[in-house]
Amino acid sequence: MSPYDSILTAKSGDRLFLLGNEAIARGVLEAGVHIATTYPGTPSSEVGDVLFEIAGKAGLKFEFSVNEKVAVESAFAASMSGLMSFVFMKHVGMNVAADAIMSIAYTGTGAPMVIMTADDPSMFSSQNEQDNRIYAQLAHLPLIEPSNPQEAKDFLKIAFHISRDEGLPVIFRTTTRTSHMRSSVVVGEIQERHREEISASPGRYVALPSNSYRYKETLISKMEEISGTNYQDLLVTRMGNPESLHGVIASGEAFNIMMDSLKKLGLDIEVLKLGIINPFPEKIVAEFMQKHPSVIVAEEVDPVIETACRSLAQKYGLSVNITGKLDGVFPMSHELSPGAVENILREILALGRNERASTYQISMEVPARPPVLCPGCPHRGTYFAVKRAVKMLRISDPVYSSDIGCYSLGDYDPFNEATVMLSMGSSIGVASGISAASDRRVIAFIGDSTFFHGGIPGLINAVHNKSRLLLVVMDNDTTAMTGRQPNPGTPVSLAGQYTREVSIEEVVKSTGVDFMKTVDPYDLKQTLTAVMDALRHDGVSVIIAKRECAILRDNRNKKLGVEVKYTVNPEKCTGCMNCVTNFACPAMSISGNRVVIDPNLCDGCSVCTQPYVCPFQAIEMEGDAGAA
Amino acid sequence: MRVQHNIIIAGVGGQGVVTLGLMISNAAISSGQKAIMSEIHGLAQRGGTVSVDVRIGDYYAPIVPDGDADIIIALEPLEALRSLKRAGPRTVMVMSTEKLPPVSLGINKKQYPDIADICSSIEKQLKLHVINALDLAREAGNYRAVNTVIAGFLLGLGLLDIPREIIENEISRVFSGKGAQANLTAFNLGYKAAEAEGIKEKAIP
Repeated sequence: MSPYDSILTAKSGDRLFLLGNEAIARGVLEAGVHIATTYPGTPSSEVGDVLFEIAGKAGLKFEFSVNEKVAVESAFAASMSGLMSFVFMKHVGMNVAADAIMSIAYTGTGAPMVIMTADDPSMFSSQNEQDNRIYAQLAHLPLIEPSNPQEAKDFLKIAFHISRDEGLPVIFRTTTRTSHMRSSVVVGEIQERHREEISASPGRYVALPSNSYRYKETLISKMEEISGTNYQDLLVTRMGNPESLHGVIASGEAFNIMMDSLKKLGLDIEVLKLGIINPFPEKIVAEFMQKHPSVIVAEEVDPVIETACRSLAQKYGLSVNITGKLDGVFPMSHELSPGAVENILREILALGRNERASTYQISMEVPARPPVLCPGCPHRGTYFAVKRAVKMLRISDPVYSSDIGCYSLGDYDPFNEATVMLSMGSSIGVASGISAASDRRVIAFIGDSTFFHGGIPGLINAVHNKSRLLLVVMDNDTTAMTGRQPNPGTPVSLAGQYTREVSIEEVVKSTGVDFMKTVDPYDLKQTLTAVMDALRHDGVSVIIAKRECAILRDNRNKKLGVEVKYTVNPEKCTGCMNCVTNFACPAMSISGNRVVIDPNLCDGCSVCTQPYVCPFQAIEMEGDAGAA
Repeated sequence: MRVQHNIIIAGVGGQGVVTLGLMISNAAISSGQKAIMSEIHGLAQRGGTVSVDVRIGDYYAPIVPDGDADIIIALEPLEALRSLKRAGPRTVMVMSTEKLPPVSLGINKKQYPDIADICSSIEKQLKLHVINALDLAREAGNYRAVNTVIAGFLLGLGLLDIPREIIENEISRVFSGKGAQANLTAFNLGYKAAEAEGIKEKAIP
């Protein structure tokens, strides 16, 4: 039985303790969604983990698409075919998908379609903290924002209703805190699925200029229609003292923090909670601002609600005093912290300073614990070999063009193999640009999933434009950083069904690169030799470092009861520290003047036994030490 | 009066930080209280700093405000130190002594700091309970049961307002078969360790 089964089997009225993303997966079932698509990305990934697991049993079609744009196109195709569809991604994935989304806004949908964006304020696992509510304004699409798992599930169903009524895709925005918050959720009925009759006139889905010219007007009038309908009754709530001088307008996690802070400070202030941001619930907000001469707006991350409030105040000639980000009171960057919100309220209400604020000092130096490649990670061997090859060939000032995935951790000590890293698939485009712009040697790194996602056009571009670069494809057979989802290079697609693997070698070969070699990154000598050969080539050379993700192997070994461990023979260890300083496996550390391996962490990969890591052959398989 | 618990669990990826949070939250819910929890998944799949906040009581936001923690549970001594900046005047800290040296130490040819120094640095500021949970987990037959040892320790210290049977039921539910037995033993060893310490903390008002 899978831990996710209860998300499928729970009966209406049951209470489950769910992560926001798990509640969304349940909402997908309750809404009667036929087809769900995604490209994995934190903080949205768990929605896919659940759906991948239960899709077969639930009779839902689920697809890990090659990238977010294809995921949106695929979900749209379902919608125009009369099947309710749901597509979800992390916020930056929406940039990839935006081209398609902008057109769908114009053509409109068939069966209901919802697009989820999981934003990441404070960037727990992202390259930026863009506020995707602004996409809804750009595209003129409705946007709904929940605050907790229960709402995430319930509001998702409302989003599908709006999509059905208006024939528009609806954007559903969570943040890390709502997606990764766990609380009790009362589940509802799971809807039967059915194909809907879609009667589309010829040209209906064709976004040619002549059509789009008309569609734009339709889009605007649909959005005006939503402003006038009663969705606001479902998505906007007023609570607290309606007579208070101050009023609070908030959404998402900012609403949660506000509610806790008001309670902590014993304040009875009216709060207007917005669950729909676009179209802006104009009437109710204007009325609220008329009632309260002072309004505090709390939101994450950009001043979207606040800007709308200020423009409404101007439009209706209201003399309300608005506190938010634009007047410098709330920060323009990062998620809100409860402490900061409490202090802002104290300041506005003249309550005096918070005496309980933490004054705890750490009296000793705490060694940093940056994110790290796992024990047994094949990327460690690749980075080790590349660094050594660069040193042996005396390449000064190389450019390491990195990409998004576990291997971005190669930026940290001791490898420091990231000079530049932008976005999914950018490593190759940037590398070929560097080769055109300078004489520096450039080495690009990309993972298998990222190669398929957005790397291939960059490679074709590099060959076409005669770039001089080395591309290292780090193929670990999975989309590792988001929790090991399959990708086109994996022989598994939906719920364990076997599919055809797309061969990275064949793709690379077909582009006509000048040099290509596949190596096992666990074999340091082979990898080092191949990288040196590749670097001696001009033109585009490619190394494919192929070895499955260590966690995949660990999980399989655990099931099979296989346990291999390595240990340091203290008689042979000279304390040279080459392993801990240059290889840096988390299972290894210094004890006294020797190195030790934590048996609980060692995953048995054996790479550290090779002379490049331990020149004194002091690392031995556990159990062999005595015999040696 | 209902006890309101703001709990921070700090540790390293792979230590069962989330599982411990789930154990406490589910048990609190089973005992008729409200609970919410926040999970932050960082960049690394394993080996990075992980922190889970559990709030038992009437709360909207899942993160414990700095200074408001009733309990900080540190599954690793360096993470105990790191979480000190989130402590406040009523914080009690429970620390497991299992050392997981970050690679930054080895790279700089440094050793893990002395546990005694870490303890005294923390004790200068707040009440600290220390447990060798790894040894007890091994004794229970599963070195991964460190988190269950801690759960027993917390209950034994009287820091959690959850009946013992409820948390034991929760352990039996989460871990099946042989795993359940080892984890129940681990829980019991943690509980006894608290009794042996001879301290019975009053539940925090």
